[in-house]
Amino acid sequence: MKKTKHSISGWLKENYNAEIESYIDKNFAITEKVRIAMSKKNWKSSDLAKAMDKSPSEVSKWLSGMHNLTLKSLVKMEQALGICLIHTEPIKEYEYVYLGIVKNSEESNTGSTEYKQSLAGEFEIAM
Amino acid sequence: MNNFAEIVFIEQYKKVTYYSIAINGKNALYDSFVDKHSIENKEKLYHIMAWIKKIGDKSGALDQYFRNEAETADARALPPRGKEKPPTFVEIDENGKYGTVANNLRLYCMKANEHVVFLFNGDIKTAEKAQDCPNVKPHFRLANKLAKLLTQSFASGDIRWKDNFSEIEVDEDFLLEWN
Repeated sequence: MKKTKHSISGWLKENYNAEIESYIDKNFAITEKVRIAMSKKNWKSSDLAKAMDKSPSEVSKWLSGMHNLTLKSLVKMEQALGICLIHTEPIKEYEYVYLGIVKNSEESNTGSTEYKQSLAGEFEIAM
Repeated sequence: MNNFAEIVFIEQYKKVTYYSIAINGKNALYDSFVDKHSIENKEKLYHIMAWIKKIGDKSGALDQYFRNEAETADARALPPRGKEKPPTFVEIDENGKYGTVANNLRLYCMKANEHVVFLFNGDIKTAEKAQDCPNVKPHFRLANKLAKLLTQSFASGDIRWKDNFSEIEVDEDFLLEWN
């Protein structure tokens, strides 16, 4: 069988567009998450539409993977399906850092001392 | 005059193998589509190409990810429904508003099953119905014609399934023919 001149992956690589890639990635990830959650519940899109009080045609648009979903419609789907579609990281108020001591060998301690001395020497010259 | 067409391989992903059709010894329909719209509608084309790859890699050719364009046979198109809402892809419209123009580029195709898809040709759709749009009407009609011929060839065994329905094979001299 003959092959086409253009491959899909090759064309995308040559014409890489980070914004569209990211949009497609995120929209597809959300749609797939909804599709899997519906399949677990044995729901059709009409069941989801009913649970959200929306029309089936509107919901099938949402599930096409090409719809620009609003935050409101995302939250509606989260509530209806009992899943989380958007994970937001909590804002950090404190960050705990563990401080410990690494005991060096005698050799590396000597090296460290020499380094400090040489720095001190350079500083004096500069003054 | 009789027309003849051969099946051409495009690319295989984990979940979908894509093919196209070359009519009367000319370029594959998919190649003509990419050649034309790489220049005229690059971002809209990128949007569709990225979507084709995503379906191929991740989900398989599920019905919800295609637009139904059946008239006389089971033809489909990309992108799926929902593309009307901005900014499924982003550009500046004639009034200078950012992100308010929808992707009206159509690529007609046929989904043989969830693992095998034929990509044909398409264009910018300017009317509500494909039948009323001078740009896409010929592609829409051809997609329906080819979908019918391909379905018949699957049924007659001229196109055979391979590798657990994830690929197809045909005899070397196999051609689709019509008047």
